[in-house]
Amino acid sequence: MGIENLAEKAQILIRSRLCSPNFIFKPLSDSSDSNYSKLKFIISSSIMEACNNSILLLGPRGSGKVAVLELVLSDLLEEYPDTITVIRLNGLLHSEDNSALKEIARQLCMEHHLLFSKMASFDDNSQFMIAMLRECGLAHKTVIFTLDEFDLFAQGKQRLLYSLLDAMQTVTSQAVVVGVSCRLDADQLLEKRVRSRFSHRKLLFLPPSKEDVQRLLEHILSLPMDSSLACDYAAEFNEKLQSILADKRFKEIISNYLNSNSTTNHLLRFLFIAISNMELKSGFLSLENFKAALSSIQRHPKQECIKDCSILELYILVCMKRLEVREQNSYNFSSVMKEYKSVHDSFPTSDYYAQNVCLRAFEHLLQRELICFTDNRGHSQSIEFRQVKLVVSYAELQEGLKSYRSCPAILLKLIDR
Amino acid sequence: MGNEESPQITRRATRLSSSTPVTSNEVETEKITKPYKLTVNDFVFGGEKLCFDDLLSSFPARGNQIRELLRLLGPVNSPMLPLFVYGDPSTGKTSTILQIFRHLNRPFVYASCLTCYSLQILFESVLDQLLLHKKNAANGYSSAKRCVKPSDFVNFLRGDLTSVIEKLKSLKKVGSSKSAGKPNGNMLYLIFDNLELIREWDKSSTALSFMFNLYDVLKMHEVGLIFISNTSPDTYYSNMGYTEHVPVYFPEYTEDDLRQILMRNQPNRKLYSSFLDVVLRPFCRTTRRVDELSTAFSPLFRKYCEPLSDLASVPNEEMKRRLFSHFRPHIAPSLNEIFWVPSKSSTEAETNKDTTRKGSTRKSEVGDHFAQIDFHMSTSAKYLLISAFLASRNPATLDASLFDSTGGSDSRKRKRKASEKSIEQKEVAEQELLMKGPGTFPLERLLAIFQCITSAADSFDEDEHENDDLRAGGDGGLMSDVLLQLSSLCNANFIIKGGSCPLEGSTRYRSTVSEDLALKVARSLKFPLPNYLYRR
Repeated sequence: MGIENLAEKAQILIRSRLCSPNFIFKPLSDSSDSNYSKLKFIISSSIMEACNNSILLLGPRGSGKVAVLELVLSDLLEEYPDTITVIRLNGLLHSEDNSALKEIARQLCMEHHLLFSKMASFDDNSQFMIAMLRECGLAHKTVIFTLDEFDLFAQGKQRLLYSLLDAMQTVTSQAVVVGVSCRLDADQLLEKRVRSRFSHRKLLFLPPSKEDVQRLLEHILSLPMDSSLACDYAAEFNEKLQSILADKRFKEIISNYLNSNSTTNHLLRFLFIAISNMELKSGFLSLENFKAALSSIQRHPKQECIKDCSILELYILVCMKRLEVREQNSYNFSSVMKEYKSVHDSFPTSDYYAQNVCLRAFEHLLQRELICFTDNRGHSQSIEFRQVKLVVSYAELQEGLKSYRSCPAILLKLIDR
Repeated sequence: MGNEESPQITRRATRLSSSTPVTSNEVETEKITKPYKLTVNDFVFGGEKLCFDDLLSSFPARGNQIRELLRLLGPVNSPMLPLFVYGDPSTGKTSTILQIFRHLNRPFVYASCLTCYSLQILFESVLDQLLLHKKNAANGYSSAKRCVKPSDFVNFLRGDLTSVIEKLKSLKKVGSSKSAGKPNGNMLYLIFDNLELIREWDKSSTALSFMFNLYDVLKMHEVGLIFISNTSPDTYYSNMGYTEHVPVYFPEYTEDDLRQILMRNQPNRKLYSSFLDVVLRPFCRTTRRVDELSTAFSPLFRKYCEPLSDLASVPNEEMKRRLFSHFRPHIAPSLNEIFWVPSKSSTEAETNKDTTRKGSTRKSEVGDHFAQIDFHMSTSAKYLLISAFLASRNPATLDASLFDSTGGSDSRKRKRKASEKSIEQKEVAEQELLMKGPGTFPLERLLAIFQCITSAADSFDEDEHENDDLRAGGDGGLMSDVLLQLSSLCNANFIIKGGSCPLEGSTRYRSTVSEDLALKVARSLKFPLPNYLYRR
């Protein structure tokens, strides 16, 4: 097999690893005081003791809450087959009580091979759910509800949460409610009556420490020795990988990158770009792949926008900046045009264009969101008279002008005043 | 997306034709062809195969972006994190991605938020494509499934995606997958275009969060998501947060790129290149967008080639200088009219004028033609427009003095020497006028001014024409249907409804025409507008 083929296979393997959260979070869950084991203990104890329970998983987006939950659930489904039913709800899709109950009923029907009617009303569905909970409780089966984006369920009247938690308390049921949320104060959002029925167990998912990151990198990027890849290729690949990981420059890149956002998902995206950059001809990862990935993922969108502007648009931005410097806080297109004219009068340039050309350049700037309207409601005025403001800061504008190719010197002089 | 033969258009059976018997005159046989049925092969772009070099050469300035996208898409059947492609409009994002998929021959589903202008239509379009359902007359142009809520969409999507992927896998087993037209691989890609338009829909915050979290919600390895947007990712504000995607940036073209792009498909490349030498640099200072530049350049190129008798000739230095000196006076005015889209009548008028006057200077001609309005309005509408402009422009207290009963204007104002304070006050007032824009006026004031102006116009006309057809209906044939004219002017956005007065509750109007347009309209009516304008 040519080295390109091997490299391609390795690439596909690592990419599929990066896209499957189960693989990523497995090693993090091996230690005994990790969130995985705590969660598993809580749920399995409530299964064995046949009691109700509720718990919240909190942490920033991308820290692996749902991944760990899925790992726990898959393990439990292996250990206790036929005694667990899992119902999955998502706050983005089912925040309305009607659709949430409908989804619960649908999943219950699918699980127990019953016919589901789409025409059932809210009351029918809620009665069905309570009846199912009672039956499952009598048969010693546990129903596990996973509520993703829990804070979205806590908007509005919280009817679903109340009926669920109330059913758990009154009926002889065995149910576990697991809420997953990115808001660390998700339990403060609950109403008094809901909160009283909710146990205040929370598991916090913190971003990984430096040693964890190192272990994670090795775990993801190392090729396994026993797979279909040739052994010597895999060994050489892992050796090169170790030398990169130990390199000081690489450590600097990683710590620099994780300074802005240290969640696991953020790191995975970086690794995805790096592995896509891998040269298939050479067949191995190199430090340049990681450097290129860093520059392509850390972007400065406003700088890029300014670099994309034409010279007339830069003139308009500089005129607006001058108006702001003069403490004229509210201005519109006509006053910007007046400033543009006065600039042209004092320094005669070749860049003096008519009103409609400037208006079109103004519209381009609006579309790129370098400037925006200050009033939200005003469609009663034409575009020339609505108040606008700059969205780029002074430093960004200056930086952008300096790095602009063939920027007229006069703009630089004007912005420096 | 597939190759389809257009079905023969069957004659619509109206009630009349179906009730009358078919006579021997109507011999046309109605061919009802079977509508084209879509198959799994229609998931790919179709057409001829495109090799990598052709791909690179058809997008001259996008080599880096194409390579980056190909790297991120990866080898066949490799899972992918969602991509977010962004850049200015008309930088080639959509066409590049579609041509890349044509080159790779992988199955994809494309939906644009421009044509699918609400969530329901977007969902149904994606599901129709997955189910290979085509809207035609047989099923009454309806979609296969009705899908309004995101939860239904996710459920249907999971089911349909699994069935499509099964079909793709079985297709692979049947024959060799290298034959042209057969999709490559087991993965299906969903492409969502024009994502920034979702921000203006109803319930945009939930819709945007849903779209961005779609990958996490679906949790399917065999699906790749690609989002295309005209604005950068930091313009999508969400108080919920969402997982970011892998960004791919399409920068705006540089001057050299623009030159390469505009030179493609030109019959005479040397001639066009000398044309671009002259115009590209000044025009690039105003805008760098390809679509605007190409529409501005096409009439200019025609003008540039005018003195040439043979359009296929290669110009030498001397000819270039001659062409440039002939063309030069046109550059400056056309720079100021770069976004002016000529209407059909004006281009015809120009060609007529060209044949008659060849040697004279063109400046006066160009000036004339911009002094006329190039759309048609009835006379009463023109008067109404002028009255609206005056009502917005002048303060209401001056109406009495400007429009006295004889219809003439009183321009005798006592002029006093302007003191320092009054000059300052005038500047401040001018500033306020710039800021506030045109004022609002109630309907009664508009009608009063209109009546004054038209009576004045009638008195002018009386002296000139004896029999005026306009006065057929007694006093003011111009007064007929004023309210109807007003509503058509509102629809054309010449007059807009401003805020309503809080005390009276009646609606107020505001005129949006510029002074130039009002002057042009007045000139066409021979109405002395400058006499009525309030000058500070």
